[in-house]
Amino acid sequence: MINVTIDGQKLQVPEGTTILNAAKMAHIKIPTLCYSEELSIYGGCRICVVEVENERLLQPSCAVAVKEGMVVKTHTPKVREVRKTIFELMIASHDLGCKLNCLTCSRGDNCDLQRLAQELGIREIRLNALDKNMSNDYSSYSIVREPNKCISCHRCVRRCEEIQGIGIFTKANRGPAAVITTFKNKGMGNLECVNCGQCIHACPTGALHEVYHYENVWDALHDPTKHVVVQTAPAVRVALAEAFGEKPGRIFTEQMVAALKRLGFDKVFDTDFSADLTIMEEGTELLGRIQNGGTLPMLTSCSPGWIKFIEHFYPEFLDNISSCKSPQQMLGALVKSYYAEKNNIPKEDIVVVSIMPCTAKKYEARRPEMTGDVDYALTTRELAMMIKEVGIDVLNLEGEDYDKLMGSSSGAAVIFGATGGVMEAALRTVYEILTGEELPGIDFTPVRGIEGIKEAEVKVGDLTLKAAVAHGLSNVRRLMNMIRDGKEYHFIEMMACPGGCIGGGGQPIPTDMEVVKKRMEAIYESDLAHGYRKSHENPEVQQLYDEYLGKPGSHKAHKLLHTHYTPRGL
Amino acid sequence: MNDGRMMEKLHNIQTTYGYIPENEIEKLADEYAMSKTKVYGVISFYSMFHTEPTGKYLIRICNSLSCHLNRSDDVVTGVQEYLGVESGETTEDKKYTLEIVECLGHCGEGPVMMVNDKIYTHVSKAAALKILKECM
Repeated sequence: MINVTIDGQKLQVPEGTTILNAAKMAHIKIPTLCYSEELSIYGGCRICVVEVENERLLQPSCAVAVKEGMVVKTHTPKVREVRKTIFELMIASHDLGCKLNCLTCSRGDNCDLQRLAQELGIREIRLNALDKNMSNDYSSYSIVREPNKCISCHRCVRRCEEIQGIGIFTKANRGPAAVITTFKNKGMGNLECVNCGQCIHACPTGALHEVYHYENVWDALHDPTKHVVVQTAPAVRVALAEAFGEKPGRIFTEQMVAALKRLGFDKVFDTDFSADLTIMEEGTELLGRIQNGGTLPMLTSCSPGWIKFIEHFYPEFLDNISSCKSPQQMLGALVKSYYAEKNNIPKEDIVVVSIMPCTAKKYEARRPEMTGDVDYALTTRELAMMIKEVGIDVLNLEGEDYDKLMGSSSGAAVIFGATGGVMEAALRTVYEILTGEELPGIDFTPVRGIEGIKEAEVKVGDLTLKAAVAHGLSNVRRLMNMIRDGKEYHFIEMMACPGGCIGGGGQPIPTDMEVVKKRMEAIYESDLAHGYRKSHENPEVQQLYDEYLGKPGSHKAHKLLHTHYTPRGL
Repeated sequence: MNDGRMMEKLHNIQTTYGYIPENEIEKLADEYAMSKTKVYGVISFYSMFHTEPTGKYLIRICNSLSCHLNRSDDVVTGVQEYLGVESGETTEDKKYTLEIVECLGHCGEGPVMMVNDKIYTHVSKAAALKILKECM
């Protein structure tokens, strides 16, 4: 242990503790900007500088470890003055000027710079804003980058590289010309960016946000010739309330449905319904592959960030991916066929909107092989904006139920939102189909939790089914390399975002591991509250097969619910 | 990982091709197990590396302090007018690429201009244009 004095408080901290963390232990908050607990230390912004006795220069507290006997002062006049000056310099490169861009900024209500300005007591900005005169990057279907708002904190660079293992951003050039950019400034949509949106969660400013489609949805809602159907993903219901000031972890399903009905959607269906359907199709596909010597391991196909990742980085494994469309696309396809036919609505008049925790779903909805299934994919944040725009007091609404036909779901579907959930849901059904018995201890805990790679073996009759789960693309990459090196599995669930969809790039800000854990608890709580815990018990799914599709894997099911993939390379 | 050796490789690539093509960046990314974006970041730090083909003649004119005091501005504007390109651009016939740079290491003899590897000192506007016209 190391003895250290911080602002007169004497304390002992473990060797290697940074000044920043030691101060935290002494209940002193040092302001930070480029620092993130989940990322490597960058030490670039200098907001966290402190005075250290006998050191000539101020020290960045995030990057300096305490030494024996160190005496630190965190908020002296000199430190506070320097922090303010640094902040002013930073703001001068942030495209503030007189454009009033806080009013129109995607982060107007949760900007780290605004928070920091208050923490530092900024009352004037003495410098004129520098016009970097860079053009916005609109090349991606999912994400917009506004580089003039970028303050070069490097958080997106590190998140993409360290958590997602991709590295779409870099700092280019030198000195005053230094900027964060993509490979040869080609734009995110023209590179191996998988649209996961984790960079949005990393960004302290509005330099990164999703491509907004909610204006199109307003147009559809106000067009009397359109029949607008909405679906909501499992992970949205446990996060949406945060956008209205609630603590993470509130299950908000019924109020969310009520709000959607007030917004004017003609039908509110549940992506959980098609998650159950996915299990029926994917489970059947898995059994088929195991019994007929098909390509193994079979990889899940729900996460569009992961799908684009494998198309770029492991195109040799495309045959391993389940041919099932994601639940979003399945539901869209069924609204425009099953639902349309049943209700005699021309499918041209139907607009399918999906509310997703995800930015990559916007890209997925635009994939040419599935065009038309889903018209607009909105993020959880966009839904929150719409609800705010029309002043619905969503927190106090009387809850309502999803509409019939594709509104019922099992507990197995809601857990799709958390890492390991698809695997657990599949096992609950596959086990029962193969053995005729319920999966022992229906809560399959080995694949739960935030461990990066989880493995499990389940004895199913004569077969020992080997399963693995990975989330966060750097873990996914590790698992893919293990498979490439010969490790054998039958079934693998891959999710692009840390924590699974509950940690998706379209979720309310902030989204970090602490928040994700709370949402995860809510997901499993919601599972327990469901009458049905297994996908094949979902009565509306059974009805769909009886009335329309025949059986899982049928010709019609294939036509509507399955897809193919495209090798992209780098 | 050895960034020092990467610099050497980048130099070799540029010597071979006159610039650093994308497929070479991709090869380096593979070799160093980093993203091609990161390799690009390294390259862009050094202003004398090029990621696009340059003209046959790479014209560098210094416009930093000591050259500026010796009226390098005249040289710069004269050359810009003659070639019809700005700094960083290449003429349509792919003959000249112009770069306005910071210091070519001959501060006592400004204005200084470089054509490919050759240094010219005490350059006037007229001298600069003569040099350009002599490039075949």
